[in-house]
Amino acid sequence: MLRLERVRLQLGNFTLSHVSLKVGQGEYLVLVGPTGTGKTVLLETIAGLHHPCSGQIFLKGMDVTHMPAEKRHLGVVYQDYALFPHLTVFDNIAFGLKLKKKGTREISRTVSKMAQFLDIRTILKRRPRLLSGGERQRVALARALVLDPHMLLLDEPLSALDRLTRDRLRGELKRIHSELGVSILHITHDLSEAFFLADRLIVMKNGAIIQEGNPEAILKRPKDRFVAELLGIENFIPARLGAGGQLFLKGLGPGDPPVFSASPTETEKAICLIVPNWAIQLFPDKNNSDAYLAMFPMTITGLERAQGHMKIHLKHTGGERLRTTLSWREMNELPTNPALGQEIPVGLNRKGIHWVPAD
Amino acid sequence: MRPYLVGRPFKAVFFAASALLVILIAVPLLRMITSTDPGALVSTMAEREVMSSIFLTLRSAFWATIACLVLGIPLAYLLARTDFPGKSLVQGLVDLPVMIPHTAAGIALLMVFGRASFVGKTLGAMGLSFVGTEAGISLAMAYVSIPFLVNAARDGFLGVDPKLERVARTLGASPRQAFFRVSLPLAWRPILSGAIMMWARGISEFGAVIILAYHPMTAPILIWERFQAYGLKYAKPVAVLLILICLVIFALLRWLAEPRKEA
Repeated sequence: MLRLERVRLQLGNFTLSHVSLKVGQGEYLVLVGPTGTGKTVLLETIAGLHHPCSGQIFLKGMDVTHMPAEKRHLGVVYQDYALFPHLTVFDNIAFGLKLKKKGTREISRTVSKMAQFLDIRTILKRRPRLLSGGERQRVALARALVLDPHMLLLDEPLSALDRLTRDRLRGELKRIHSELGVSILHITHDLSEAFFLADRLIVMKNGAIIQEGNPEAILKRPKDRFVAELLGIENFIPARLGAGGQLFLKGLGPGDPPVFSASPTETEKAICLIVPNWAIQLFPDKNNSDAYLAMFPMTITGLERAQGHMKIHLKHTGGERLRTTLSWREMNELPTNPALGQEIPVGLNRKGIHWVPAD
Repeated sequence: MRPYLVGRPFKAVFFAASALLVILIAVPLLRMITSTDPGALVSTMAEREVMSSIFLTLRSAFWATIACLVLGIPLAYLLARTDFPGKSLVQGLVDLPVMIPHTAAGIALLMVFGRASFVGKTLGAMGLSFVGTEAGISLAMAYVSIPFLVNAARDGFLGVDPKLERVARTLGASPRQAFFRVSLPLAWRPILSGAIMMWARGISEFGAVIILAYHPMTAPILIWERFQAYGLKYAKPVAVLLILICLVIFALLRWLAEPRKEA
């Protein structure tokens, strides 16, 4: 559907460097990255609002690199919806249809159909200023979808909404995607949104794509510490791969060698263990020590209560600090109630751990 | 202290300052209007010379405003939306007519559009003369009052989120359609307000007009001439009449340009 080949763009001090990506027919692609990383610029470049210095953009096999925005048939929805304040909801949705010089009757029929699909029939006569965030979002989606675009480009479409509305609209986006089969490129910095919606995930940093794949694969094997941090992983243990493939955990004592199938070129180097919260197990089963990379005692230094879970801060005598998250059910299954200052045995579950070269 | 008293001294100071200023503007005008004999006002209204000079003033300023709307809106839009080399110089030039003495502006215009100049001669050969004509009056009015329009329109366009224009483009609008369907309708109030200010400033112009076109006589020149030739008694009714007519027109236009509350 959409293919970018080494697209480069210079916009003031910002550079989009040789971005290549593909969005398949009917695919839901989510692009994640921290604020200021060029996600919006990339989306606007695809939409035809900025023109690349080099590289090519193909849409349905056709080179659209130099095609003006109005000819590309791409629906764009912005974070703040960008509804036309001087027009009613009906006229906002009908804007593109009127430009296409459709007849009044056809416009009215198409708009009502879309309004029904997105459940906004009752607000068609209102002005955008008087709508709630969720309603505005639906109107913006309707305005883009009513033109039957080749693709939807969503720029942080849910981040200005309260949590409840956000959750509801997230489901709505999934429904739109599955019912209309439209290809979607969605950019966000919200990971739960990304994991909920994405068929495929792309991670961006400083104007460049650094990893892509399906969400589970990226979560399992983040390419580097930056991607892991972006995915919400909080524990990074500095370590060293020994010549014989042993693993030395700095600050936590030697681990059980060999932990990873390290090739000779990968020995004797500093690495970083990426440890998701769930891989840190309190009171590990000593009879099943093979499941663990290492076991050691740690002291509880903090307990953070949250909705549905408890976050536990741990400190090793060697200085290393780790964090883990336990659901209330897991909390109840612990042999003792964790208390501040308490020393408890901790195991690093092999399954969840992955290593990357140290920065 | 009861809650509603909080902030009362603050408001009182603001009310006092505002009242003082409004009085300062209104009293001289009221004094002039009330000290004029209604009979003299009526007989002045019957004078052809007076009425035609007032209408000439309104009309010339109106055409100056229309011409500057056509040329000024594109400039205002460029100033709001684009960066180009020399932009601050252009912005400074646009503001300049407010600062220079208007007699100087009149002389500058005369140098370019006068009968002795190349431009003046060429245009004169085409039948368009700016010295001692209504076109000259409009030109002088436009020159000194254009900053009001361009600056207001530029601020109006700055108030329109560029994202709205971008969305319009993705919905199939060409740059021209995005401008006429989104930017202009959203900026029309500040533009209208600027046009009203420009028209008003044009009507009141004296210095530049007198140098470029003493005749046909606009109202400000007629007032000055009567004051010079016959004294205050004869100048005053013309002045009062101009003030009253302008008051009605501008109150009406201001009311039109005000944002309405939506249901």
